[in-house]
Amino acid sequence: MSGFSGAAAIAGIGATEFSKESGRSELQLSAEATLAAIADAGLTAADVDGLVTFTMDSTSEIALARELGMGDLRFFSRINYGGGAACATVQQAAMAVATGMADVVVAYRGFNERSGQRFGQVQKWAAEQVNTNGLDNAWSYPHGLSTPAATVAMQARRYMHEYGATSADFGAVAVADRRHAATNPNAFFHEKPITIEDHQASRMIADPLRLLDCCQESDGAVAIVVTSTERARDLKAGAVPIVAAAQGSATDQFVMTSYYRDDIGIPEIGVVGRDLWRQSGLSPADIETAVLYDHFTPYVLMQLEELGFCGRGEAKDFIAGGAIEIGGRLPLNTHGGQLGEAYIHGMNGIAEAVRQLRGTSVNQVDGAQHVLVTAGTGVPTSGLILGG
Amino acid sequence: MTPEEILERVEEIKARGNSPAREALDPVNVPMIRHWAEAIGDANPRWAPGPDTEAPPAMAQVWTMYGLNPERMPGDPLPDTMSIFDEAGYTSVLGTNCDQTYARALRPGERVAISTRLDEVVGPKVTGVGEGWFITTKSIWTVGDEGVATMTFRVLKFKPGTGRASVDKTKSARPMINRDTEFFWAGTAAGELRIQTCNACGELRHPPGPVCPVCHAMDRGYVVASGRGTVHSFLVHHAPAVPGKKLPLTLALVDLEEGVRMIGEVDGEVAIGDDVEVWFDPIDDEVTLAKWRPSGTQAVEPEPEPEPSDIPVWELPITPTLVVSTALATRDFQDVHHDRDRSIGHGSKDIFINILSTNGLVQRYVTDWAGPQTQILSCALRLGAPAHPYDTLRFSGTIVSEQDGVTTIDVAAAVSIGMHANARLEVRLP
Repeated sequence: MSGFSGAAAIAGIGATEFSKESGRSELQLSAEATLAAIADAGLTAADVDGLVTFTMDSTSEIALARELGMGDLRFFSRINYGGGAACATVQQAAMAVATGMADVVVAYRGFNERSGQRFGQVQKWAAEQVNTNGLDNAWSYPHGLSTPAATVAMQARRYMHEYGATSADFGAVAVADRRHAATNPNAFFHEKPITIEDHQASRMIADPLRLLDCCQESDGAVAIVVTSTERARDLKAGAVPIVAAAQGSATDQFVMTSYYRDDIGIPEIGVVGRDLWRQSGLSPADIETAVLYDHFTPYVLMQLEELGFCGRGEAKDFIAGGAIEIGGRLPLNTHGGQLGEAYIHGMNGIAEAVRQLRGTSVNQVDGAQHVLVTAGTGVPTSGLILGG
Repeated sequence: MTPEEILERVEEIKARGNSPAREALDPVNVPMIRHWAEAIGDANPRWAPGPDTEAPPAMAQVWTMYGLNPERMPGDPLPDTMSIFDEAGYTSVLGTNCDQTYARALRPGERVAISTRLDEVVGPKVTGVGEGWFITTKSIWTVGDEGVATMTFRVLKFKPGTGRASVDKTKSARPMINRDTEFFWAGTAAGELRIQTCNACGELRHPPGPVCPVCHAMDRGYVVASGRGTVHSFLVHHAPAVPGKKLPLTLALVDLEEGVRMIGEVDGEVAIGDDVEVWFDPIDDEVTLAKWRPSGTQAVEPEPEPEPSDIPVWELPITPTLVVSTALATRDFQDVHHDRDRSIGHGSKDIFINILSTNGLVQRYVTDWAGPQTQILSCALRLGAPAHPYDTLRFSGTIVSEQDGVTTIDVAAAVSIGMHANARLEVRLP
């Protein structure tokens, strides 16, 4: 156990509704979610002295602070690499709190990712960046490899080839997510479960990935309040301690195109996993439920392996028979995940982990003591273990 | 409007036969000939001012152009036909053929008149640019009662946005290039697949970078890959649309023989482990992509090989000045030939050379080679890719036959994105 483990806790969570067209600015979305999170914690805007978000977020820390009439900020930080930032924003907040750099830090993410700039479309700007990311993309974008689904499809095909996984195995993740979303009133796909036949009949987006292997595009915002565990215990919603928080990138890392390694999997999440287990002193057997970042279903299988829930290539057997659905051996994404609830760049998954530990999830896992959450993979990524 | 209704109205216009002869606004005159020769760059002394000035045959159409503020003559079949198709939603137009014959040279002072009839309308056809109709008119130019030249002119009137997925590959994402990576792109442009090598330890590396990750040397060079590899993985992209690419698009991760990996498009179906070989696809003057195909198959788009040319190849850089000056010298005031913003607004990349000038340039190419006294009897143009500024027109020519003193010559005028025009000329050599 590290000295960091358990020093900070999540004291509040907040979100907007999740939609395809919010009708509001991204700044307003983040402000609404932050207010909701602060209220959930029983704090006021004046209590907040730190803000963290994604490098990609369009709302600056100072803009949000101005909107909410916050006073002095002592800590602000941003994390790069798209959805890989999700858990790392909470890690930043927790480190700031644990080291006394700030008392109350809010991690936020808000966007109109469906009605505004859609990540699922070709992002021409990504190839035009005058920096090393732009240079990296010169090896993929001009060839037409320029959507997230396509970049994952390259890895998925190889994974299928090496381990015998099938499209239906990927589909099991979508079926589980949509089953969980079906009972979540906040999910976009509330009361809309799917069958594996629906998955297999959905159109090809980037063969072998089908439409139902791909997460939604969503408008919305989520905010997470972090303070010391000691202080959080006395607040309205109580403390959900941050037992472990880690970032990871692996050798020869690229953004979505780490194709030049011997194994074109996602070792970056293995880096995160090893550090989570080290910090927490826990092992996969101690995890009752997890939120695994599900922008694309094949990555959920690969994450289970990298995190040590099963051996390499064994995820298709691990998830079979409803094992990752509520009531199964390791329920995943009980809010419906980003395929079912909404794609808020992973931040909504952190909120779901908090609900599981508070006992307030719509798909509550009995006796959930430790919940593992991951951020976007295929990119430099991050993870959390929350719990007692 | 149904096709039957369109054809009914077309038949009315066809039934009118030849339109009344419409006289040129100006007689054949030395200043316009001189302007034309300057713009086309044709130094043939027969066009020079003097007692024996002749009008270039390619100017036949110039004399009867309507001008900047046209007052269309009632009963002119081409505008009447065009308006039927505009009404029916076929609002875009593309010239496809222009075949002219010349009975004799025109002299200053002669006043030319034109008479046109609607010859044929064929459609609706599915074409690369969209659903459309081919409209053919036949015109005759006369001086008094004497026929001096003829033209068969064909345009495609089409519904914009209804084309078979036509792909402009120049719209592909551009690679960001810096001093660490420029050797690679210079290589593809030269038909070489280059792999960075460390001059200190020999480590091969792709993608390249300034420092050898193994020994930290910054002294680097490259080796040229064999261009052979095997498929490590691949995907087939179906959605969403990708600028500059035709879908579905197969993309592969190729293990090169030399031991590095590269991403690239593949022509044809592949499976993991298949052997593939590289080919080079020039996207435009700046970027050439290394693409792949299953070993032993032919490229879908073979690298363009210069056609054998009996006539020395002529490369003409296209400047905005060339496009605009030739358009005005041929009295063609359509905005797409001089106004870049309007041209882009119509869906073009830039302004482009008009048909009358292509005709002039093709004839200049032949007479520059064959001699100023060469007599052009006919010139049949088949039009293709637009000729935009900053591209180069590359003329080549082959002699098809010589019979009864008439030489038949095929001229190809290519631009970077394909064939701009193919022409067949019949000439009498001096």
